[in-house]
Amino acid sequence: MRLLDLLGLIFYNLSRRKGRVALTAIGVVIGTAAVVILVSLGNGLQRSATSQLGGISDLTSIMVFPQYEEQMAGPGMSVSGPSTVKLLTESVIADITAIPHVTAVIPRDYLRTMSVINYARLEAWANVMGVGAQDVADLGYTVKEGVGTLERGTAVIGEPMLRNFMDPKMRPGQEPPEPPDLLDQQVKLVITKYTNDGQEVRKTVQLRIVGILKESRNEGDYSLIVNMNDMQGWNEWAIGKRINRAREGYEQVTVKVDSVDNVLAVADSITALGFQAYTPQSAVQGVSNFYIIIQVVFGGVGAVALLVAAIGIANTMAMAILERTREIGLMKAIGATNRDVLSIFLGEAAGIGFIGGLGGVGLGWLVGQAINAVALPYLASQAAQMGTPPPDAAVYTPLWLPVFAVVFATLIGLISGLYPALRAATLVPVVALKYE
Amino acid sequence: MDETNAYIRIRGLRKVYQMGHTKVHALDGVDLDIPRGSFTVLMGPSGSGKSTLLYLLGGLDRPTSGKIQVGEQDLNSMDENALAVYRRRTLGFIFQQFNLVSSMNTLENISFPMRFNGSSSKARHQRAARLLEQLGMEKYTRHRPTEMSGGQQQRVAIARALVNDPPVILADEPTGNLDTATGFTVMQMLSDLHKEGRTVVVVTHDPRMARFATRMIYILDGRLVSKEDYDQAIATQE
Repeated sequence: MRLLDLLGLIFYNLSRRKGRVALTAIGVVIGTAAVVILVSLGNGLQRSATSQLGGISDLTSIMVFPQYEEQMAGPGMSVSGPSTVKLLTESVIADITAIPHVTAVIPRDYLRTMSVINYARLEAWANVMGVGAQDVADLGYTVKEGVGTLERGTAVIGEPMLRNFMDPKMRPGQEPPEPPDLLDQQVKLVITKYTNDGQEVRKTVQLRIVGILKESRNEGDYSLIVNMNDMQGWNEWAIGKRINRAREGYEQVTVKVDSVDNVLAVADSITALGFQAYTPQSAVQGVSNFYIIIQVVFGGVGAVALLVAAIGIANTMAMAILERTREIGLMKAIGATNRDVLSIFLGEAAGIGFIGGLGGVGLGWLVGQAINAVALPYLASQAAQMGTPPPDAAVYTPLWLPVFAVVFATLIGLISGLYPALRAATLVPVVALKYE
Repeated sequence: MDETNAYIRIRGLRKVYQMGHTKVHALDGVDLDIPRGSFTVLMGPSGSGKSTLLYLLGGLDRPTSGKIQVGEQDLNSMDENALAVYRRRTLGFIFQQFNLVSSMNTLENISFPMRFNGSSSKARHQRAARLLEQLGMEKYTRHRPTEMSGGQQQRVAIARALVNDPPVILADEPTGNLDTATGFTVMQMLSDLHKEGRTVVVVTHDPRMARFATRMIYILDGRLVSKEDYDQAIATQE
């Protein structure tokens, strides 16, 4: 029997029992829709969680630290051997830059002593960060006002930092001062160090604030970001000797990667070079794994509905075979092989699964859109309160899901039809022909 | 018995059905030779085993013991698949109940067997249409079985049996569900098939079939008997 004839006959047999096929398929429609909706819901949850994490930390960056000591303790191994120290020197930075998908390698350093920012009568403690880049945008920071360029004598400050400015002479019960508008203002950075005999020494630096960073729930929020050369100068003053980057390397570098998908691979390459690499992407991976479990559990609940539908298909097919016993006998008498009969009935069962699968995907999609229409405004208001970007979907259907759902429903139909179809195929023709 | 000339050869054929605790000997050792191109009529009362013989010959059931050979084909040695191919290529079946598919129209019913032999839908359509024309039933092309009389349905069934142009026609009580006149027309049609050179085997208890037969076989209680014995047994029953 040719495939086209087989498909034609299956279609014909299904179309002459429209009512019953439709009723049986409704079960599959509900089961498939449940799978589609629940998995989409799990997917939507995962996406909004991931996008919020992405809002907190830039997912395309990797923080790299020097490896000061290689942990090689083990039975029979010498602990007194020379420790392998891996420093982030300029040549290493060149090596890292050469890794595919790396777009930038930005050294970072922090002030190695105490400091305070003074503006008018106000003062604030700050995380002072030196960045070896032309612009803070290279680090993934967004400037809200002003510019992000880092030159000598200028600085960029995080917006929430402005709320940290306090009046030291403020009496208890007094209203806190308004956050100052520092854009294009001169501030004083007072750096303090102690000499070996306990003397406090201060150094005051004038800095012009050229940019204010948009609040983005990361380190930049509470930082004063300055040019790397300024930072190196202050640190040399603080420790009282010159810093040789070629020998000592940097404290930390930030590696930017072209796409989120490549972050983990690049991090692995850096680790292989012997450095410590930290990426927010690995946290996101953990969250993803959690939501994959949720999706599997949700999908399982939907699968139970499909199982019930499968029993419906088996029942319908068993009935059809009873009703069409004489027809089966006739088909055999006019030359149908057992395989032909098996294929026809299996095909009909799979056809019911397929029709139900298509309907279920359609229904699931519609319900998903309805949930989105209702839930999205609420989620967006929640996100606004938390200061995170609003989710783009509560229920998100990935492209593979409808395809998978239809194939799965068809498979369920096929399996349900297996026993009835086998019974039909192995009927003794003469018995089938005489069946009343 | 001229063995060399026989097209269909049946030897020591037995069929035993298990009915609860009792065994029913439907066929109890039948030897029969049917020449090519003959019109053989199997006569017997109901329960005599004549239909069983026909269905065993048609490969729709397996004998308990014995041998059936059709041309070069030995039915015992065939698996289910080979039997299906044998039925498709060698046989055309005609039934008492017509066994048309009620949801199919005349054309679809006639061409139904061709769906299983890989013919194109165009070839199927052409062949069925030509057979309908030969039977003078062109205007019933789109009719469903329920929209036709018994005689018309049986003509459609005969056309279906012929669609693969088989050398052997097996008919099981083909006039059993028809009135006398229509039944006679069907007998004439079967006779025409015989004249075309086909081997026709008909199971019936309609004595009028005898006038078309080249050979009459009488069967009683699963055994072949002579016409005298048969007539005597029937007379005794009555």
